[in-house]
Amino acid sequence: MNKFKNLPVVRAIGFNRVVLIGVILLMYLVFALLTPVLHSGATFLKYDRILSALNYAYFIGFLGLGVTFVIATGGIDFSIGPVMFTAALVSGYCLTQYHVPLWLCLILSIVIGVLFGIINGYFVAYRFLPSFITSLACMQIAKGVGSVFTKTQSVTWPTEGNENAWFHYLVRWGDVPVGFILLCLVAAICAVVLNKTKAGRYILCIGSNKEAVRLSGVNTKKWEMLAYIICGLLAGVAAIFYVGAYTTVQPGLGDTFNNEAIAACVMGGTSMAGGLASMLGTVIGALIIALMQEGILAMGFTISYQYVITGIIVLIAVTADTLSRKRKN
Amino acid sequence: MGDVILTMKGIDKRFPGVQALSGVNLEIRKGEVLALMGENGAGKSTLMKVLTGIYKKDAGTITYEGREVEYNNPREAQEDGIVIVHQELNMMGHLTVAQNIFIGREPKNGFLIDDAKMNSDTRKLFQQLNIDINPKETMSKLTVGKQQMCEIAKAISHKAKVIIFDEPSAALTESEIEQLFKIIRNLRDQQLGIVYISHRMDEIKKITDRVTVMRDGCYVGTLITKDCTKDDIINMMVGRVIYETPKTESHVPPDAPVVLKVEHLNAGRMVQDVSFELHKGEILGFSGLMGAGRTEMARALFGADPKDSGDIYIKGEKVEIHTPEDAVRHGIGYLSEDRKRFGIVLKKSITENATLTCLPRYCKGVFIDKNKEKQVTKQYVDTLRIKTPGIDQLVMNLSGGNQQKVVIEKWLIGDSDILIFDEPTRGIDVGAKQEIYELMNRLVDEGKSIIMISSEMAEITRMSDRIIVMCEGRITGELDIKETSQEQIMHYATLRAGGSDNE
Repeated sequence: MNKFKNLPVVRAIGFNRVVLIGVILLMYLVFALLTPVLHSGATFLKYDRILSALNYAYFIGFLGLGVTFVIATGGIDFSIGPVMFTAALVSGYCLTQYHVPLWLCLILSIVIGVLFGIINGYFVAYRFLPSFITSLACMQIAKGVGSVFTKTQSVTWPTEGNENAWFHYLVRWGDVPVGFILLCLVAAICAVVLNKTKAGRYILCIGSNKEAVRLSGVNTKKWEMLAYIICGLLAGVAAIFYVGAYTTVQPGLGDTFNNEAIAACVMGGTSMAGGLASMLGTVIGALIIALMQEGILAMGFTISYQYVITGIIVLIAVTADTLSRKRKN
Repeated sequence: MGDVILTMKGIDKRFPGVQALSGVNLEIRKGEVLALMGENGAGKSTLMKVLTGIYKKDAGTITYEGREVEYNNPREAQEDGIVIVHQELNMMGHLTVAQNIFIGREPKNGFLIDDAKMNSDTRKLFQQLNIDINPKETMSKLTVGKQQMCEIAKAISHKAKVIIFDEPSAALTESEIEQLFKIIRNLRDQQLGIVYISHRMDEIKKITDRVTVMRDGCYVGTLITKDCTKDDIINMMVGRVIYETPKTESHVPPDAPVVLKVEHLNAGRMVQDVSFELHKGEILGFSGLMGAGRTEMARALFGADPKDSGDIYIKGEKVEIHTPEDAVRHGIGYLSEDRKRFGIVLKKSITENATLTCLPRYCKGVFIDKNKEKQVTKQYVDTLRIKTPGIDQLVMNLSGGNQQKVVIEKWLIGDSDILIFDEPTRGIDVGAKQEIYELMNRLVDEGKSIIMISSEMAEITRMSDRIIVMCEGRITGELDIKETSQEQIMHYATLRAGGSDNE
């Protein structure tokens, strides 16, 4: 076992990520075997299933990447799901009702995400509110704004084949999962930001010991706020991929995705205590969540089972994180 | 001399990459105070943690009252009568003294807690120990010294047979230490076995009967305290003799320019109208009793806490310092008395800590230039002689003295000209202390200027060129090293506003 742990490949990816990849393969196998049994006539071994699972992985992945920055500072953001929905609603409404150009709507979606990031970040970093409370308040505001702006109507973005629908190509182009490539690309950028830049170094150090960083002459407020802004920005990006995959958005929803994104993040080895984060882990975590969702539906269960399982995953992952930290001390 | 109550034999403990203990022996006897000495990182705390079940030993035996024992956690050890009084206090500030002492085992009256019995039991306990504290007082209202007494009382209330004191005097004033010693002697006369861990030589001579010395995780030897000299013990600890001679003359040339001038600094109750000058190449000692406002003054000066008023001039120019960021930009560095909370990022590597004050200088655009960063870290790790397997080592794996050196490294890389050392050698052993002193002298020779806050009289008289004494937030005296005596410093340190001497 130790020999395996010390293989160069395993060390580079991280043992716990390797285990998670194993989990994905195992889950795929289980779903492949169980789907025909539980749901007669159905099969899991189709390329469509993979594409469908990936659709779910994209937006969870982008949300997860964003919230990884926040968790790295030792904070939390419970507003990302509703912020994503609000960004999709408001920009979609502008597209369909006011005929704003598509490219501008996509930018608008990201701007809305950034705005919520600024609000969260300002109150946490500059006004010293607990991130838990701030983001819950932001979640309420986001839900409300989405409903008010669209007059409580759901918004349907143009479907594939219509004009103003090229954003679907960001998700898939024929059978090519473009979204997966983009998700990996963004994850790579996030990993570089976290591990190779000044901002990332400060964010991780703030997560470990904020006061020591401040007393080293670092403007901790600025960098802590930046983590929330990046998180908001990626929630805006996630919105584009959500509508790219599912087209229709309803107001007043989105909070279940918070937990799934945070679950993806924690599963991937990011410590809830801050100071330790893995972008690759978050992407793998998002893939697991997505595959599970697809598997549950394929086997003929309702989506409510997914909520139960996500909750259990969060408990297990955080427990594992806490235990491993205890052992290290 | 009493019978042996506890024996540790051939104790081994390995941590990843470090042999923390190898073949350590220890013998505790009834009715005796045993000093456990050694540099930081020598393995004293580790040994005590093995004894009380916080760590599992890899080899060796522990015999307690004639039977072999191995505890899985401190609670088991406690129930067996082995208790440890930690350096850091583990008290709940908002509870009363009695509630703290009986926490987890409150006397019950049916379903309810029997407060009256709890308070009277506490009072009895205090009487036995000759402590004068009201059991109904809220813990946070007590001085650190009194809190420590409560901690000891709590330990004794567990029917302890062996008590370990881990640097109990670090936060106490002279008179509180006297009282602590009285209590310890009292316990010794009741035939308890006592282990006393401390870095202060004079205390060892005063209170202990035997001294066991450790070095680098190994057992060096045991001496009878009254038959050995201070130098004997230090020799065993570090293998060389260190002389603590006071400085007799200032090393600062009379025409040295003023690098820092503070005028009428006010910050809350603890800093009132503080004005002073710091010269280039000078070590300016700040002396005073605990709570005299020296740390608060330093934090206000550094911008860590808000100040109410006051002007700061650096090299003659007025500067605005509102945040630590401002202070660092003006070349001021602050080494906190509480390293772990304010000095270092424990879970990060030496390199990541070392460049924290000036990361932008080790960046190309937004990217960190890791080679350049590693190079400079390595260079300072070598010159400061930080003992570590590598610069990627996490700081939490270093000993206290080496952690302090990492903090110094951080400020040196940050190019600070004015360094505020707040209790630079607190919790640091004799050997590393000497190194820190040499380092401070080298820094002022290189033209840096140092403000040194210290509660150790010997440290103040040995290092300072000039001494400022504070009491209750005010400067009460300024002394040239030439004409300073410890008595004089004490006089000013207790000079309260209005001119009346303290007590």
